[in-house]
Amino acid sequence: MPDLVAADFVVIGSGIVGSTVARKFAQAGASVLILEAGPRVTRAEIVARFRNSPRRSDWMSPYPPAPWAPHPIYQPESNNYLVHAGPYPYEAEYIRQVGGTTWHWAAHAWRNVPNDFRIKSLYGVGVDWPFGYDDLEPYYQEAEELMGVSGAPNTGSPREKPFPMEPVAEPYAMRRIRERLVPAYEVVTNTTARNSRTYDGRPACCGNNSCQPICPIDAQYHGGLAAQAAETAGVKLVPNANVYRLDHDERGRVSAALYYDPDKVSHRVAGKVFVVAANGIESPRLLLLSASDKFPRGLANSSDMVGRNLMDHPSTSLTFDADEDLWLGRGPQSPSSIGIMRDGPFRAEHAPYRLDFTNISRVDGATNALIAQGVYGDEFARRLRYSAARELNVKNVLEVLPDPDHRITLSDQSDPMGIPKPETHYSIDDYTRKGHERSQQDFRRIAELMGGSNLRFSKEGVYANNQHICGTLSMGSDPSTSVCDQWARAHDHENLYLAGTGVLPTCGTCNSTENGLAVALRTAHHILAEHKVGRVPAPSGSG
Amino acid sequence: MTIMRFNVRTWRCTVGAIVLAAAAWVSVGVFAAENPDAALIERGRYLATAGDCGACHTEPGGKPMAGGLAVATPIGSIIATNITPSKTDGIGHYSLEEFSAAVRGGIRADGQRLYPAMPYTSYAKITDVDVKALYAYFMHGVEAVDHKPAETQLPFPFNIRLSMRAWNWLFLDPRPYANDPGKSVEWNRGAYLTLGLAHCGACHTPRNILMAEQNSRLLAGADLGAWFAPNITSDDNSGVGAWSVDNLIHYMRDGHARAVGQAAGPMAEVVDHSLRHIQEADLRAIAVFLKTVPAIRDNTDIKPAFMWGAASDAFSTIRGVAVPTDRDQWSGARLYEAYCATCHQAQGQGSFDGGLPSLFHNTALGRVDTSNLVMTVLDGIHRKPDVNMPGFASELTDRQVATLGNYLMQQFGNPAGKVTVEQVKTSRAGGPSGMWMIWVAQLIMGIVLLAMIGILYVIWRRVVSSDKRAA
Repeated sequence: MPDLVAADFVVIGSGIVGSTVARKFAQAGASVLILEAGPRVTRAEIVARFRNSPRRSDWMSPYPPAPWAPHPIYQPESNNYLVHAGPYPYEAEYIRQVGGTTWHWAAHAWRNVPNDFRIKSLYGVGVDWPFGYDDLEPYYQEAEELMGVSGAPNTGSPREKPFPMEPVAEPYAMRRIRERLVPAYEVVTNTTARNSRTYDGRPACCGNNSCQPICPIDAQYHGGLAAQAAETAGVKLVPNANVYRLDHDERGRVSAALYYDPDKVSHRVAGKVFVVAANGIESPRLLLLSASDKFPRGLANSSDMVGRNLMDHPSTSLTFDADEDLWLGRGPQSPSSIGIMRDGPFRAEHAPYRLDFTNISRVDGATNALIAQGVYGDEFARRLRYSAARELNVKNVLEVLPDPDHRITLSDQSDPMGIPKPETHYSIDDYTRKGHERSQQDFRRIAELMGGSNLRFSKEGVYANNQHICGTLSMGSDPSTSVCDQWARAHDHENLYLAGTGVLPTCGTCNSTENGLAVALRTAHHILAEHKVGRVPAPSGSG
Repeated sequence: MTIMRFNVRTWRCTVGAIVLAAAAWVSVGVFAAENPDAALIERGRYLATAGDCGACHTEPGGKPMAGGLAVATPIGSIIATNITPSKTDGIGHYSLEEFSAAVRGGIRADGQRLYPAMPYTSYAKITDVDVKALYAYFMHGVEAVDHKPAETQLPFPFNIRLSMRAWNWLFLDPRPYANDPGKSVEWNRGAYLTLGLAHCGACHTPRNILMAEQNSRLLAGADLGAWFAPNITSDDNSGVGAWSVDNLIHYMRDGHARAVGQAAGPMAEVVDHSLRHIQEADLRAIAVFLKTVPAIRDNTDIKPAFMWGAASDAFSTIRGVAVPTDRDQWSGARLYEAYCATCHQAQGQGSFDGGLPSLFHNTALGRVDTSNLVMTVLDGIHRKPDVNMPGFASELTDRQVATLGNYLMQQFGNPAGKVTVEQVKTSRAGGPSGMWMIWVAQLIMGIVLLAMIGILYVIWRRVVSSDKRAA
């Protein structure tokens, strides 16, 4: 089989991280190829499907999976792409298409708090990162300037330079919550990649309140924009290229990526450096799929750590009716939160968490609930209006500790291309559960301060998932307990790098995208310096 | 109706570029600079803003009046010149008389003629007092920039300036504006600004075959590259007769008159660079004058452009219908929902505060000429401080723009206005090609040459035959 193409850098995955790393390489003058399993999709198609969908609250409904590169779907029924070995189902959602999963997100672009990097040293739990907050600070800034991030100054993450812009105007409901929770709780504006003014040619948020499943005007940054920027910088992006194997030479260097096109014709791509950026589930799956005589457990897996330490952010929540009209649904879906439980000595005992207020319009949910109860006519209109105006929801975003038993493996079932499906092994441990228990007192107090009635706690023992897939390609200094080093280079392969949220050693209490992107930018700068490609610009956030 | 499509604004830049590039070479006597008072300089700054000199002479992000802006025109790319007081690269060596001759007479300091892209036929209306203020500003209120932008190269025969002497004799009225004693001070001020400094006619008055503004059709509307500069005469249906004075003031000051229309394309630039900085009294004077400009009606305009349409939608035609894979097969309703409804709302009603405009009661959809609608869909609207309607040129095919445009006109606008695929293709390319102008001009030059050869031949025959007779 002849080499189809060759490039200096081959990046697998065109999401926000893969595309941004590829763009950095291309800007330095390298030849770069992105292989993306899914198809190209335009924003307009997604908007059209969303507007036409009868399932408005099913954020995956505008993202039908490609038959040749499926992703997990749960509504109206599961497509069983992700196999759950239990004991607790890990029902992750992600999107396999050009631009990846950040086509639909709340655009939370948080930095860790500094202590998140040292929880083993400070609290005796989890692991320490191989570097600290200060090392990552300039790359956080670079990520924020790329994405167009705004936020409040008082979130516990110090910064050298200001945010690139002011936050989006505070929605009325969030203002009322902030005012009524003082002084018991300080409600802060979330740090988000959402325009409050024209930025990078994209318009300001105009409050469609459909951040998920799709920002219809690109006021919110997403991986589709990152992919576009990569191509503008000269990256060659091949969609519908489902990489099913990485080959290596006798020295253990990765030599080629093999992919199937939608007709299952195999293609081979040679490269000098390979970056796997296919998300926290598909990346370890690919490494495991690439097992060979020399590497019988798969690539990068001499430590048997590939796919292990799977983490996310489980959430439990409280829904209640406030004693005043708040009308959730104006402005972005997720504007405000409480950060006081993100860090503290209690982390030795239980999970820290962020308390997150939703601002998603209650109309769809309340309508479905009332119809399910058989309410109709005038009473329906009256109660819908009441719920839409009064209903509030606060959830916790709980840290999960790395646990080798929580992992992604290869299933004995195969996907439509004949490739083994990913299989999840997951549970909610005591540390996380105790965090949930601790948060109940905050829920009650918040409801009390809002004059809440009709308190509806989420079902005990049920944890909603937040799709922040971390840990499965964990970085660390010790090759026996991690997959890659602090530069995200696989311990086992000189020219194989990993990028994305999978490399994060711990998940903290914030959404994982900015951490994944900042770490990947740090990796990209290192790779360019290491391989002496072109001119290596300093991160924009430094100095 | 205009005979030709022509981008007047870019012409303006052309001429400025040519005159000033050349001017920089010329070394005349040292300008004896007296130091005029600050008030005069400030007055000049305001007048230069009203004259929108920076539109062509200031490059985005560049130093004020230093030139360098490359402007695509039908007859080639033009690079605006440096009109800072630099003695080597700008106009620092111009005397007041030379400055006045350039601005009001179209004659550079070296005696060369300007082309009418520089609106000197309008600037000719500027009073002596105001020219002095402008001169003071350009000499003392603008930072000298010693940098010469690249030279503009126009194709033959546009590089020959001699003919402009005849053109000026035909079309340049060199008299400054004289007040009409029968009209109010406000009206006279409005006429002075509209016809002179603000040079509204440069875009809004149609031009004749020799590119001169047709005085008989003052402000009656003209094509401008791919855009259309509308009729702004006092006619109720075709012009701005049905606009209130406040509508006009809001439009000029904010780029937006609610439930009437908004400035886009070249007009958005005029608002950004010039009109939004103009004192309200002057804007009011312009509005008052415009509403008295002799009405010129196109009979296809059966009501004011902003009076068309009402809230409505056609989404019932797409509910439950799968999204077609071939995007060229998307219906107008589908395209509207995916690209427009997010901001302009399901029924075209816009946002409650008018910040996102309604699409009915909107001049962009009220005319039979759909040029500006197509250009707005392709390029969006971008105005200071932060109006940013995205353009969809890179996302929509020509077919999609036509389908969407026709949906918009039918649903919200004047149903007589149509959009064709061919039209979109032409607009996307920047409007009708100007190559024909070059060919026509070259053809005329060829005919003249042949005629001269013919005349010389006849003379030669006569000479020969008289020689024979003499012999």
